[in-house]
Amino acid sequence: MVTLDRPAAPARHISPAMRWRARVPGFLMSAPAVLVFVAMFIIPMILAFVLSLTNWNGYSLNFTFIGFDNYAHAFRNPRTIDAAIFTAVVAFFGTIACNVLGLAVAALISGPGRANTVFRTIFFYPYIISALIIGFLWAAMLSPQGAVNSVLGAIGLDPLPFLTDIGFAKASVIATIVWSHFGFNMILYIAGIKSVPTEYYEAATVDGASPWQQFRNVTVPLIAPVLTVNLVLTLVGLLKVYDVVLALTDGGPAAGTQTIVFQILKDSFANAKLGLGAAQSVVLLIITAVLGLGVTLARRGAEKKVAD
Amino acid sequence: MALITDGTVALVEEPTDTRTLAAPDGRGRRRSGPRRIRRPRILTVLTWVVLSALALVMLVPMYIMIINAFKPQQEIIRNPLGFSLDTLTFDYLWAAITSERFNVVAAYGITLLFVVLVNVFGILLSAPAAYVIARGRSKWHLGLLLLFVSGMFIPGQVTLIPVVFVLRVLGLINTIPGFLLFETAATLPITIFLFAAYLRTVPRDIDEAAALDGAGRMRAFWLCIFPIMRPVVATIMVLNSISVWNDFVSPQIILGPSSGLYTVTTGVYSAVSQYSTSYTTVFPTLLLAISPAVIFFIIMQRHIIGGLVAGATKG
Repeated sequence: MVTLDRPAAPARHISPAMRWRARVPGFLMSAPAVLVFVAMFIIPMILAFVLSLTNWNGYSLNFTFIGFDNYAHAFRNPRTIDAAIFTAVVAFFGTIACNVLGLAVAALISGPGRANTVFRTIFFYPYIISALIIGFLWAAMLSPQGAVNSVLGAIGLDPLPFLTDIGFAKASVIATIVWSHFGFNMILYIAGIKSVPTEYYEAATVDGASPWQQFRNVTVPLIAPVLTVNLVLTLVGLLKVYDVVLALTDGGPAAGTQTIVFQILKDSFANAKLGLGAAQSVVLLIITAVLGLGVTLARRGAEKKVAD
Repeated sequence: MALITDGTVALVEEPTDTRTLAAPDGRGRRRSGPRRIRRPRILTVLTWVVLSALALVMLVPMYIMIINAFKPQQEIIRNPLGFSLDTLTFDYLWAAITSERFNVVAAYGITLLFVVLVNVFGILLSAPAAYVIARGRSKWHLGLLLLFVSGMFIPGQVTLIPVVFVLRVLGLINTIPGFLLFETAATLPITIFLFAAYLRTVPRDIDEAAALDGAGRMRAFWLCIFPIMRPVVATIMVLNSISVWNDFVSPQIILGPSSGLYTVTTGVYSAVSQYSTSYTTVFPTLLLAISPAVIFFIIMQRHIIGGLVAGATKG
């Protein structure tokens, strides 16, 4: 698996046996990583499909093949459908909100200066805190007796059912995700904006472009690749959102904020139906791949324009 | 790192004098000093107001968490934002530290151990493989790189169920080796990708010099090449440390409660989820859980942000 290091000794003067021997170190160097990767990624990928056709309960290694029953069950189960719809809503609005807010803030504070650095730190820091803890923190603040309602009461407003009404709870989940995630998008956008050559802005200024026009006609088109990365990362990340929901609402009220991964893990481990969980995982994997590739391809056009 | 901290040149806000002169003067723009010439004053003020309000929204939850970790339940409910010096107490924090449901000290230790071991194993496995990939010219090497990179697009939750199966077959479910195996594997795609990208920029002369000295390929790599990789190793350690420290699902499922081992996240879950209305449990526990991460962030801020940018934009 190795090519010779010294071009001075061309491989074709070497006998096949020697060529094989030259490959041994490279093979040995990459084999452990390949082995671990195959055991924990490739085999599980294949197994996910195999197990989705069984009634495996997760404990014993005895199970029987039941065909596509798990898939049929998943697609007919209203809980799963609801979870899929809510996940789609979270992914759609979350991606848009994180990116609009992230890009807007990035445009305002991409410049040098201490104040901008401080703002960046403040907007970004929740990203390094575990989503589970973010969820618990907001759960404590949004609960009926929590800080937010207490402040609303202090200024003479009625308390709001942030976590106890389905509609409010859904909005709370999305808001919490945006709160903790847009700083990451912002950081990537700032990196993108900084890589735009200054000459473009100088030219735009000479032409009398306003800051908004510069943003619209210089910044946005020139950071098209960063925009794509941001959209894909956020979308793919939100399709598997789980930790924050578990801590914030525990899927409630009335299972209204269960996401797909929430449903998968509940079916698999709380209900000991890993076959059913595997079937839903396979569907999620396919949806993630299709949407991820879809957005990437759809953005190709916008990125091409930059090259011209 | 360079992208963030010493980005090439200043942007919109630092117009030079030539630009000022060149700017059309018909649109009410005054020459009010070298900075912010092109933004009307009212807009600047408005920007500051909006940014400050947003900053407040970001910081108040942290303030609430910290301040309420030292207050009794009624105080928290009655007056979550304020505090009186009389009622501030370390009792609840101490109760959280000594809680039987969540042994914080043990959780810190175990999680830190996992972070260190996953970093060590991940780098030990990835670095030589990335070196082989970066130096190789055949289609096999490209295929190998694509194989690893494909792992970046497979969500961990999707493979979790079959991984449980594999670990059960291997007899490693609910054990530390099983958990480390999974977490290490999860770091391989991004690690190998960034390492290989970095190694492509390292000149081959160094390999040849090492080869002339008679060092074996493996030895030559670890002695001569690996030390050069320090910046990218730092980036990877930051990325992997954050993801292992914050991971909840894998320790919850793979280690499981039956192992009796709790990381910071699974410990917080078991301590808080049943008692979410007992704020004197919630706030001190959360404060304990995030303190190390926040301190790490404050110290390593530039590396963390730089590492995340490198990981995301190259990936």
